[in-house]
Amino acid sequence: MTAPALRTQALVAGYEPDLPIVRGVDISVAPGELLVLLGPNGAGKSTFVKAIAGVVPVHSGVIFLGERDITRIATHRKISQGLAFVPQTENIFATLTIHENLQLAAAVLPKHIRADKIAALYRRFPDLATKSSRLAGTLSGGQRQMLAVARALIVDPPVLILDEPSAGLSPKIVAEVFAMLKEINASGVTVVLVEQNVKAALAIASRAVILVEGMIRHEGEASSLLGDPLIARLYLGTSQPHEVSQP
Amino acid sequence: MNPQFLMDGLIAGAMIGLGAIGVTLTYSILRFANFAHGELLSWGAYLALAVTSGLGLLSTTLTKPLGPFSFGWSLPLSATLAIILTGALALAIDAILFGRLRARGSAVIILVMASFGASLALRSLLEFIFTSKPAYYTKALQIAVPIAGGLRATPDQLLSLGISLVAVIAIHLLMTRTDIGRSMRAVSENPALSGIAGVDVRRVILVVWFVGAALACIAGIMTGLLVQIRPYLGHDLLLALFAAAILGGIGSVPGAMLAGLIVGLSEAAAVQLVGAEWRAAVSFVILVAVLLLRPRGLFGRMA
Repeated sequence: MTAPALRTQALVAGYEPDLPIVRGVDISVAPGELLVLLGPNGAGKSTFVKAIAGVVPVHSGVIFLGERDITRIATHRKISQGLAFVPQTENIFATLTIHENLQLAAAVLPKHIRADKIAALYRRFPDLATKSSRLAGTLSGGQRQMLAVARALIVDPPVLILDEPSAGLSPKIVAEVFAMLKEINASGVTVVLVEQNVKAALAIASRAVILVEGMIRHEGEASSLLGDPLIARLYLGTSQPHEVSQP
Repeated sequence: MNPQFLMDGLIAGAMIGLGAIGVTLTYSILRFANFAHGELLSWGAYLALAVTSGLGLLSTTLTKPLGPFSFGWSLPLSATLAIILTGALALAIDAILFGRLRARGSAVIILVMASFGASLALRSLLEFIFTSKPAYYTKALQIAVPIAGGLRATPDQLLSLGISLVAVIAIHLLMTRTDIGRSMRAVSENPALSGIAGVDVRRVILVVWFVGAALACIAGIMTGLLVQIRPYLGHDLLLALFAAAILGGIGSVPGAMLAGLIVGLSEAAAVQLVGAEWRAAVSFVILVAVLLLRPRGLFGRMA
């Protein structure tokens, strides 16, 4: 039996030791799956993925990447272990050029393969290649997300976690970002996505987990959640079930 | 106005600029104003003095002046060792004091106050070990030679300018062309994202301490060579170092050096225009003016 790509057991996390925001969350993400984490504001979705990435302290519980326990691994070592994380905001280095952003990320790789990896990313994201010497801070919102994802993908991570990649983007750009995520997932990368954009996220996800007050309240197939009026009303901030549409 | 102020200002500015690079790197990456930085200049100067004196005892050949300069091989050799020792001192201070405070998540004001304490302790220790009597690397006298446009400079002064230029170019290349330099700039902008991107932030902090201390040591040795070595050598330059770091823009290496030259030239001009007693006030005026009119300095990024 194949081990899950990512698994948490009874994960408790938060910024202050006596104030847990994530309260005993168990998830298991199969290899190649695209899991979306949903829930109302303040549910602890972002804190949960930040705890996995090592940005927020874990108070108790365990995080497995494949079969490796990565709970206490230093944040900067997680990327080389195969766990890539794209934060919601400030997810690029604005004062570095696009190329320097990618060089920085490539520094965890052996020297002799770095240039090839960056070249491969430029082929995958040609928009970045044409602007490689531009300061990343001058990019548009969509281009920034593209750069942030490219930076995360440079190590070919088995697992990619994104925290609200559609935040602040126009609907057209959101569609492009979600199409990109779907393509990345189709290439074999396991994706965990935190999203407020429920409809778009469920449309590309295979499974969804709903967090409320730091705990899992519901999980199931993405398509079944879209059609469940009770779930939609209680947890997703809508009164009508969504129609599934492909981006 | 005697044009010689240009040469005097450039030489003083080069020393201020080198020290200011350390201040600006520490400020931008460790995110606090390290008031103990001046003491690293003093310690650098005294460590070089101790080593060069020791080498002088071992061999008098090493103290024989090199070409037009006032010093022998003992000074470059001792400077190399002093750079390493000053870097080690900075790392020790971080391990004993600042690192522990960072680990506790101490507020910036705590770090700043700790740097005041460290400054006082380091200066007192220096005075205790070496006394407050001025010291010199060499007793050899140098005659200033004509350069151009009526300006005169000693070979030691010209060498110091050259070393400053080489040092600032080297640090600029380090920051822009190497993995560790990119990591330093990334940590300066966003430490949390740097960690996520695979940067070992702790290693970057150690490198910043070492580089800043190495530059402080070079500036201290230059000051000791061109003026004299005193326990207050670095402390007396502190205001000028901060004025230059802020005028250049926090985080900018070329900015710190350019601003150091501006501060040095302004001080030298003030000596001729309003009198030597106002020299120190120039740095203060520049500091206040920049904070009021352009807080991000010449090359700093917007907050």
